[in-house]
Amino acid sequence: MTALNSLIAVIGTLIVALLVSVWLPGIERKFVQARIQQRVGPPISSAGIMAPIKFFFKETINPNSPMPKLYNALPIISFLSVLFILLLTIPQLYVFAAFTSIIALVGLLKIEEVIYMFMGSLSKSVMSLKMPFPDIVKGAKHPDTPRSYLEELSSLRAFRLIAFGSFPLYIALFVPVAMSKSIYLSGIVAYQQIHGPVLFTLAGVLGAIVFFIGYMILLNEYPFAILKTKADVIEGPLMEYAAKYRAYNYITRGFLMFVLASIFTTLFLGIPPNLFSWTILVTIAVALIFPILMAVMSAFSPIFTYKQFYPTVAGVSVIGILAIIASFL
Amino acid sequence: MNEDNKMTDKKVIETEITMGTVHSAAIEPYRVRLFVEDEIVRDAEITVGINHRGIERIMEGLPVEKANSLTEKICGICSNSHIWNSVLVAEKAVGIDVPERAQYIRIIMEELERLHSHMLYLAHGSEVLGHETFAMRLFYIRETVMELLRMIGGNRVQYGVSIIGGIRPRCELDEMRIQKIREGMDIIEEKILEFADRFVSDPMIMARITGVGVLSQKQAIKLAATGPTLRSTGVEIDLRREMESYDPFEFDIITQDDGDVKSNLLVRVLEIPEAIKIIRQALDNLPAGKITNRSWEMQDAPITKSYIEVPRGKLYHSYSLEDGRVRNCIIRTPSITNIGAMQYAAVGHHITDAQLAIVQCDPCFTCTDRAIQIIKI
Repeated sequence: MTALNSLIAVIGTLIVALLVSVWLPGIERKFVQARIQQRVGPPISSAGIMAPIKFFFKETINPNSPMPKLYNALPIISFLSVLFILLLTIPQLYVFAAFTSIIALVGLLKIEEVIYMFMGSLSKSVMSLKMPFPDIVKGAKHPDTPRSYLEELSSLRAFRLIAFGSFPLYIALFVPVAMSKSIYLSGIVAYQQIHGPVLFTLAGVLGAIVFFIGYMILLNEYPFAILKTKADVIEGPLMEYAAKYRAYNYITRGFLMFVLASIFTTLFLGIPPNLFSWTILVTIAVALIFPILMAVMSAFSPIFTYKQFYPTVAGVSVIGILAIIASFL
Repeated sequence: MNEDNKMTDKKVIETEITMGTVHSAAIEPYRVRLFVEDEIVRDAEITVGINHRGIERIMEGLPVEKANSLTEKICGICSNSHIWNSVLVAEKAVGIDVPERAQYIRIIMEELERLHSHMLYLAHGSEVLGHETFAMRLFYIRETVMELLRMIGGNRVQYGVSIIGGIRPRCELDEMRIQKIREGMDIIEEKILEFADRFVSDPMIMARITGVGVLSQKQAIKLAATGPTLRSTGVEIDLRREMESYDPFEFDIITQDDGDVKSNLLVRVLEIPEAIKIIRQALDNLPAGKITNRSWEMQDAPITKSYIEVPRGKLYHSYSLEDGRVRNCIIRTPSITNIGAMQYAAVGHHITDAQLAIVQCDPCFTCTDRAIQIIKI
């Protein structure tokens, strides 16, 4: 009976997560950004529901990639890694202790990040193709310089994000660990049930701010969208994804929004996504609040270059470290 | 920016990044080759000619009235500037007097066009910066000007106001139209000043645009940069001061000293109130009388030149007349030299800033692309 309950809880939570997550990109664009920008905006169902459905029924293209099958499989791997992150936050699965630890969570988030690097390095879209004849005829500069594709550039940026950009998120994840002195999600939740939510402490508040910045960086949202800067790399690693593969990307993004909110409620409020409890509403509420805040921030900021990105990440990381220090006090 | 950055030594160039001919940050087709080292641009090459239409060649042999109308098709943003300058060539060549009221209305149209062009520039610049909210709001403010242009010319682009000897009768300004323009100017002035205030007080925007895409005064002069791009380096040159049509109007020439993206944006922002000032003066002192001089006869004329100050800088038109038809037509738009200057401005900056550095000169590629390209074989 317990096993059946757990199974229902897991499947139910996944369904709820999927149902909520498909609306999140629409809410972000329609209710916030479009209102701020005084325009009508797309229908609320457009970004998360209608666009993926439309893309599923479109004819796909063969990407100009050295490994097209792997390239096309990457969005699915990305989706699965996000799915596993959600699974490990569901309390019914806390029995798998090692799997439901902060280490596993970090590892899966890293997979999600690394995939962008592979996407970029395996893509060679027509956007960067050289036109050899005018270059020669017109006496162009540096005719023999090796060419780099825009996606390769964004792949390099994905590497920098992994190495440096996602620091704030991972530092923030360790604030509840430091407070509860447990790397297991079950331990962190149990600590908060006794001592109250981490969010209601100084360390928790600082950690939450840092987590939110990390959330924006991981979702490649303005102003931290260095992977998908419209001014140069355009769509970045996602440039050549068409039809159903683009649909997977769209779904994964919405799903990641929900999953990160779920991580936040688990680690900072001690409320894991439990289908059999009213507290699932808290997870849903946080999943709605985060995109709204993100949309407000991104509507009022330009895209950062490294010159602004590095100091911001460094500054936010310092706040995160202060939060960890405060958590020991 | 360090002058040492402006090196083209092949040894330091690691790789080439090509943007365009179609790129999301470019509203027109052009190609940029950026030679980069660790995402820092070490050299740049901008290629135009993708949208070549050869309008000068098409104009050859056309009746001058038709050729004048065709010049509007050169540019969707400064169409009035082109037809006005083209008409000025014919008027100068044949010696046609233009009624004073028509001169004033032409000035009003030109300044309205300057308003919408500068606002489009600011909106596009904001978009390249990644600040979509500012871009949307600027388009919203610009809409007032577009409606005024539509009211006068009947179209949102290509208004067809100037004709040889004056302006078209449908573009006459009656009391109702004058009142609407006045109201529009009040709205734009209020909103653009509010925007400028928010723009310069936004630390994130200032961090992105200060010291980026620097063009020194010496370089700007050497590369024949013109218009606001030149004025952003501190050179106080505005052809409107030398144009007879602008003699009755008081206005300041706006300059900035740094020659970077910030200076370019500020020059254009601050030129907007000046344009409004000119429009108000023209409306206050609009002379009575006819708007078209019909008493002229076409005659043959040698090559005649005309220069005017348009939103992007100095615009040149020249042609000769033979049996009422255009011959030896040459048109030179300000973007051609400004784009060339931007090849230097982009060097030394991060690749994301390169597009911004190029866009800072308000390039109009399709304007520029109309020239005939001669490839030496």
